[in-house]
Amino acid sequence: MHISRLQLINYRNFSRATVKFEKGVNTIIGENGSGKTNLFRAMRLLLDENLLRMAYRLDDRDFHRGLGEWRGHWIIISLEFTDVSQDETIQSLFLHGVGNISGTLVDRANYNLVFRPKASIRQKLAELTPGDTAALAALRQEIDITDYETVFTGKSSADFTDPTVYRTLVGDFEAVTFPSELTPPEIGGIVPGIFSISREIGFTFIQALRDVVSEFQNNRTNPLLTLLKGKSGEIDDAAFAPITDLVLNLNDAIEGLDDVRTIRTDIRDTITDAAGETYSPKSLSIRSDLSSEPDRLFQSLKLFVGEAEAGYEGGIHELSLGGANLIYLTLKLLEFKYQKVKETFANFLIVEEPEAHIHTHIQKTLFDRLNYDDTQIIYSTHSTHISEASNVENINILGRNGTVCEVYQPSAGLDSTEIGNIQRYLDAVRSNLLFAKSILLVEGDAEEILIPIMIKQVLGLSLDELGISLINIRSTGFENVAVLFHDQRIQKNCAIITDLDKAFINLMPDPLDGEDEKKAKKRALGSQTSGQKRAISLTSFSDGNKWLSTHFSDHTFEVDFISTGNSAAVVSVVGEVYTDTATIALAKADLESGDVAKFGKRVLTMARHVGKGWFAIIVGKAIKPDVHIPGYILNAIFKAHGSVSDEILATIIDYRLKVQIQANGVLPAQVDPMRAQLARFRTGDIDFSDVRNEMLKAFPHDRINNILATL
Amino acid sequence: MFVWNADDLDADQVNAIEQLGSVFLSACPGSGKTRTLTYKIARELSLLTSDKQRVVAITYTHRAADEIQERIEQLGVDTSQLWIGTIHSFCLEWILRPYSIYHPALKNGFRVINAHDTERLHETLCAQRGGGLSKFDCGHYFTPVGYVINCDHWKRAGVDALLQQYWQELCANRQIDFEMILEYAHQLICDVPSISILLGSIFTMVLVDEYQDTKEIQYGILGAILKASEGKAKAFIVGDPNQAIYGSLGGYAITSTEFSKLSSVTFKELNLSKNYRSSDRIVGYFENFNQLTSKITAEGKFKDFSSVISFDCSTNRNALDAEIVRLIRYNIETMGIPPNEVCIVGPQWPLLASMTRQLVVALPEYSFSGPGMVPFARDIDNFWYKLSRIILTVASPQLYIRRNRWASEVITALELADVNTNTITRKSLLRASNSITSHSTDGLTYLIECFDALFAALGVDREASPMLIEHYDSFVGSSQKRINQLTATGTAAIADLDMFRKVFDVKTGITVSTIHGVKGAEFEAVIAFGLLEGMVPHFNESDKIAAANRLLYVVGSRAKKNLHLISEAGRKRRGKELYLPTDTLLACSFSYDQET
Repeated sequence: MHISRLQLINYRNFSRATVKFEKGVNTIIGENGSGKTNLFRAMRLLLDENLLRMAYRLDDRDFHRGLGEWRGHWIIISLEFTDVSQDETIQSLFLHGVGNISGTLVDRANYNLVFRPKASIRQKLAELTPGDTAALAALRQEIDITDYETVFTGKSSADFTDPTVYRTLVGDFEAVTFPSELTPPEIGGIVPGIFSISREIGFTFIQALRDVVSEFQNNRTNPLLTLLKGKSGEIDDAAFAPITDLVLNLNDAIEGLDDVRTIRTDIRDTITDAAGETYSPKSLSIRSDLSSEPDRLFQSLKLFVGEAEAGYEGGIHELSLGGANLIYLTLKLLEFKYQKVKETFANFLIVEEPEAHIHTHIQKTLFDRLNYDDTQIIYSTHSTHISEASNVENINILGRNGTVCEVYQPSAGLDSTEIGNIQRYLDAVRSNLLFAKSILLVEGDAEEILIPIMIKQVLGLSLDELGISLINIRSTGFENVAVLFHDQRIQKNCAIITDLDKAFINLMPDPLDGEDEKKAKKRALGSQTSGQKRAISLTSFSDGNKWLSTHFSDHTFEVDFISTGNSAAVVSVVGEVYTDTATIALAKADLESGDVAKFGKRVLTMARHVGKGWFAIIVGKAIKPDVHIPGYILNAIFKAHGSVSDEILATIIDYRLKVQIQANGVLPAQVDPMRAQLARFRTGDIDFSDVRNEMLKAFPHDRINNILATL
Repeated sequence: MFVWNADDLDADQVNAIEQLGSVFLSACPGSGKTRTLTYKIARELSLLTSDKQRVVAITYTHRAADEIQERIEQLGVDTSQLWIGTIHSFCLEWILRPYSIYHPALKNGFRVINAHDTERLHETLCAQRGGGLSKFDCGHYFTPVGYVINCDHWKRAGVDALLQQYWQELCANRQIDFEMILEYAHQLICDVPSISILLGSIFTMVLVDEYQDTKEIQYGILGAILKASEGKAKAFIVGDPNQAIYGSLGGYAITSTEFSKLSSVTFKELNLSKNYRSSDRIVGYFENFNQLTSKITAEGKFKDFSSVISFDCSTNRNALDAEIVRLIRYNIETMGIPPNEVCIVGPQWPLLASMTRQLVVALPEYSFSGPGMVPFARDIDNFWYKLSRIILTVASPQLYIRRNRWASEVITALELADVNTNTITRKSLLRASNSITSHSTDGLTYLIECFDALFAALGVDREASPMLIEHYDSFVGSSQKRINQLTATGTAAIADLDMFRKVFDVKTGITVSTIHGVKGAEFEAVIAFGLLEGMVPHFNESDKIAAANRLLYVVGSRAKKNLHLISEAGRKRRGKELYLPTDTLLACSFSYDQET
């Protein structure tokens, strides 16, 4: 049995979300603040014995903030289990409580937490006249959190994330229609209080702890004590009796020490001397009070670990943080193993950000090895190293969209071939794309190296700061990865940059052509044809998908880089490619010729000469803030980024003003009036088109004007 | 594993307990049937291998369930994996509540109405519809294929129509009565096979006590579950066909062959035929009414007691109370039998109620517990009745286990009433209950004030739960009605708090009960009256001779020492004819003791 689905409705930063899980290891990927902790908390409210009490203490802050007025709404947390069987005795009690019977079989189980207004309030809502918004508002004013109740239900058939279902079961707050049926069977049967799911299944939660040492020192949370109790359940009195005796003997021995006895006598004598027999205490003794209670004695157990020096074992507090974390994680896993020994037919291990516990090198191997039977592991991460180890089908991505957290399943609706293709691309580097806010897909090293440099130089911002991840596909197989971005899957912008490979030489056959020319023309024609084909297929692939956009260079990146007006930059590095002065001169002439047939051929020859990647690095050094970014690249950047905030625009203009001072020798005083305009823009006194005009007026030759003009 | 002392059980009992497979056990009166069942459950619990298994025991009454559970706990066996209760509770807790959403009449929630409410509804309907029907005609029960109406033939069409209306009204209110609990449970079991499969693998053993009073529909439900378990769940069926006295309610003693066919369980048939209760003479007497071939022997400490067994068919009904007073005095004052070892049995509650009142007046020095002496409705499923048990008893070591159990029943009932019981534990409930008090000496006022104080202490708003309101109205209403009735007939003291408290006291007085009510009980002296053809057996019985034999068998076998049978003269039937002594009793030739 495993958890196949988690649904969150109106809970914290989830409006309505569906998380899907598979058997085995599952990954939840998301940046900080994307709701990973809340998602786990929701699961724990249902499964974790330690958190069960909290389920009854939900309050108004647990409602999704996007609801605005929470009064009257419900919070629903729903878990679906599949892979169940009514023929397995060990599952019977569980399925008796929460199994869905369909026909003659129990095909799945549902367990839901429903936080809703009590029946009396639901009754009042049902009695409202449809459309009477004023009466609804008045009624909602009266509701407070004590009018709410928590119920657990099983066997439900409703898909609570479906807005129509929600309106039917909970009510339509706009139309003011509320169900008169207060006990709809669709929400399932109320699970009686005596049924405890935590007794049926094994559940262990490992928190993303940053302060493991204090956890060890706290007797309540010390995992070592939990283990001792968990292993044997109760401490065996018979086995412990000799120890109790030893402690009692020890106490006697201490009390019997000569010095102790002398002190006792001396105290007594002194009191008698000072206060007289009448007023002195009748008896007085010194006792050794070491506890013989097992619980108290176990508290003296401490783990000692030899980390670095051979032969020296230190306390947990002496360990490196990574070492302490590793020990902590190990003990928690052992706790989980002990729990598994108890009779549970399904075990769930939830690990919050294992990267917070352990060194990256261990992370990768950890989840390959954590492969227990009957165990479903769900962990959250923002480490690319761990996510790479998991199957794309077992991944959920959390994304934040304003205040709402959304959940994407990257492989939803894909066939096995498509999934296989994605899987192959998701190696350590490329699995970045699962974390990104937006994506730029490029085909080669030159783009990968030069695009970030150009952006940084011109806008003063890195791609990271713009929330864009650039992924080098190292081929033109974009579809394999781009398929991830879709209404059904990851809802993030993905811009694809590729070359049309249009020939820049005259392809007309010339009777004077030698063999080489003939070959070159043939090759150029081939590239041009396949480039066209690729453009057509990519365009139709992304057609109708609002998350995808395609951006083509006419020829190839290096050629178009020069066409855009960057010949000087390339010329400046010719000396690093060629040593022969004649060739250098020839190359410069070609590059400056303005004839695409010439500079195109030359720049590609240069790139081939030293290798495309190395050539890009050389050119990168020559890129300055006045570089011309090819239009198709700018389009791709802004398409992926989406609408640019005023804040970012202001930062860019501010940067360009610094460029004016540093690179163009403008005096700071000359910049000040524009700075003042910028400040007004920041406070909202003038709008973007105003500040754009001011910039054009103040520094008409600055590169940024062309870019601002397009925004 | 659970072990017992060598002298706790005899060889036959041990043999029944140690069987690994399913057992069909015929147990004669006084043979230690409850003890055998108790030890069997204890042993079965100790054999469980997983905390996901349950042992289920079906008893005829809540009281029997309580007693068995208490005894098992006293044996030091953990009862957390035991479910014990009546078949109605079983159907509610294991079938109706968990699977209600699969039944069209239950899926939107339902409430169970109690016998009192049912009676009141029947009464109203009878008055509405006319036709000379009374609530006593409305008795009926369901079978696997339909339902049976008990009353006279000529009234059945009328009752049938009335019941249709009754069911419609209940359905409209989403209510079900006790009979419908069984009917709906049976429907669910038939329509949703998964239920039996799941229950069949949760239960390792299903024990049925008093099977002779079990209905066909109940056999059907349990049989289906056992069958679905495919041998995983064993059965332990105990009872005494000679004591099958609930035939008019549909109860009958199934044979092991018939039940095997229903449940696919193979039974080992065993007997307990040693009577440890009565004297040789008593056993010899009630053997006259034994309809089986088994031979019962007296083996107990009263084996050689020279019992007095008298049969009186001359005393007139007007002198009946004086005669019973004389017999009570004889047994207590002459024979030295303690009052709580004396029992008066009669065939019907109305006769007994007036008898009790007459005895209370005639014998002021003795206390009585019987009908007409309980100031409120003994409705075990009513929440306020459950709570009254705690409020009206005082914390004491003897009552510790029992009050704890009552407390958990109250908490479960609160959950069912949609009250958040998160902060309420058994301990906190008992502590709160022990700390509240009222100065009222009027029983009902006292209870009401304590209810209010307790709910205030627990911070629960009872007005928020429709079920609590409904139960409250029913409890207070029927109690008030009963008190008014009893006060009007001269039992003024009934309204006192002391009378309220007495209901849950450990029994000290003389018991007054119907024959059906003393099932399973035993007394040193038993005084039976109303042994008249038409009452014993009831005129509705189809097989009058068999029914009479069973009733006389039950009456006779309650006695340890002395047995006094009275067929009073002069009692009038409706048609002005006089009742005559029970034929079967007259036909029995026995050397009764003469004047005592």
